[in-house]
Amino acid sequence: MAAGVWSLMRFLIKGSLAGGAVYLVYDQELLGPSDRTQAALRRAEEVVPPAVYHFCQYVCRQTGLQIPQLPAPPKMNFPIRESWNAGIIKVMSALSAAPTKALEYSREGWEYVKERTK
Amino acid sequence: MSESDLGRKWDRCLADAVVKIGTGFGLGVVFSLTFFKRRMWPLAFGSGMGLGMAYSNCQHDFQAPYLLHGKYVKEQ
Repeated sequence: MAAGVWSLMRFLIKGSLAGGAVYLVYDQELLGPSDRTQAALRRAEEVVPPAVYHFCQYVCRQTGLQIPQLPAPPKMNFPIRESWNAGIIKVMSALSAAPTKALEYSREGWEYVKERTK
Repeated sequence: MSESDLGRKWDRCLADAVVKIGTGFGLGVVFSLTFFKRRMWPLAFGSGMGLGMAYSNCQHDFQAPYLLHGKYVKEQ
């Protein structure tokens, strides 16, 4: 009898956890169109860092510990475009300067070898 | 499509992919821990579903300017 009740309780707890996770995903429209996902990301960006900061402050007050200043929370937007463009520009600049640099380094290397062999 | 529009679409696609794969993975973790005795397949299934949804959204997003929406006009 007790075992049956316990297994039923376990099933209900697991079911409510799983159901809660599914409902959270459905409510926040995380698996919906991409503009809804972006809106959810923006909401998370507004809510999560202050919540983490306030939680840390609360822990500090309760425990009396002085937690040193945490680094800035990570940004949740993905500016891939800027980093990609910056990467492309860097690579192209390096490629265009490569022959000049190679000539310069080989000349320096040749001078060095000549001095050593004198 | 201008370059900035293309860039914005790529950004949106990648952010969407990361969120969907993460959500699928998270749901897979929850179901694996609660019902499936810590097996690995719910994680793989959830991540794969998220990836597929993100791919489908991206495809629709990129093809959107080229899709023509027509109307059927009945003969009078």
